[in-house]
Amino acid sequence: MNVASGGFQPPSSADFVFSPFIGQSAYLTKPIALIFLSVLVISVFFFVAARKAAIVPSRLQFAGESVYAFVRNGLGRDIIGQDFARFVPFLFTLFTFILVNNIFGIVPFLQFPAMSRFGFPLVLALLTFVVFHAAAIKKKGFGPYLKEIMFMPGIPKFVYVILTPLELMTFFITRPVTLAVRLFANMFAGHLLLLVFILGGDHLLHGVIGLKFISPFAFAVGIALTFFEFLVQVLQAYIFTLLTALYIAGALADEH
Amino acid sequence: MSQNGSPETDPQDAGDGAAWSIVSYLLSGLIFWGGAGWLLDHWLGTKIFLLVGLVLGAAASLYLIWLRYGRQ
Repeated sequence: MNVASGGFQPPSSADFVFSPFIGQSAYLTKPIALIFLSVLVISVFFFVAARKAAIVPSRLQFAGESVYAFVRNGLGRDIIGQDFARFVPFLFTLFTFILVNNIFGIVPFLQFPAMSRFGFPLVLALLTFVVFHAAAIKKKGFGPYLKEIMFMPGIPKFVYVILTPLELMTFFITRPVTLAVRLFANMFAGHLLLLVFILGGDHLLHGVIGLKFISPFAFAVGIALTFFEFLVQVLQAYIFTLLTALYIAGALADEH
Repeated sequence: MSQNGSPETDPQDAGDGAAWSIVSYLLSGLIFWGGAGWLLDHWLGTKIFLLVGLVLGAAASLYLIWLRYGRQ
């Protein structure tokens, strides 16, 4: 392509690396600022929503309670069952934290999903990993729990040679890894996709006259994808929490 | 407290969730037995064990998924 302002610089993984706000400190970057902002937003929202709790809820209180009821009933009670109450705070924090950070990806001026930096989803997945194993070990004891993972009842003995390594690998490696990678990859790819169409549209707009006419189409696709991204962002927050609830449910379930 | 959730535990929910958690089983099977096959190939200088491993791993994963979620 040979347009007026030189070649188009396609967005790349370099667009996910931010230089620190002040000096050389690697800690004060945009993703980290967004993480803190999300904590602030969530805290203030639910504090204000719950402050004047009334029988006839205000609109804000209703919104807050709806989110809470969704996680408590839909993810906690329906999936974990009986003993769900003590896991609700964890699930609720996880869901709102991921949700708000993902949506930051399409909020004007913020426009970056922190979960597209792998460190954040990795830590969340490790938290889930610790929680569901700890719940199981506390309930069943380490030995019996490990035995339950490794030896599924009701299959011939020699099959264990093939299945036991898979069970161990699934519980201790692939579960946390897929959890982290799924969230990271969705946010990374989504952000990159938006960058391609918005930056591309902008580049076409500054190109020769023929290209200017194509530019609105790029922007239109960019806007459509922004709505699509919203769906993905909500869905990924839901799936992360859903799988956490499922793993906890599996950890607490009695041997079949 | 708003009580607007579904009344009973819906088996459909567990089904949806199972679909998502199946991915980690499939990956385990392919990576572990596929990896074992690749290593064998590497040591013996053959080319067949990677394929055997991948097929075995996929079959074992599907069997395991059926054991976990299908049988009841």
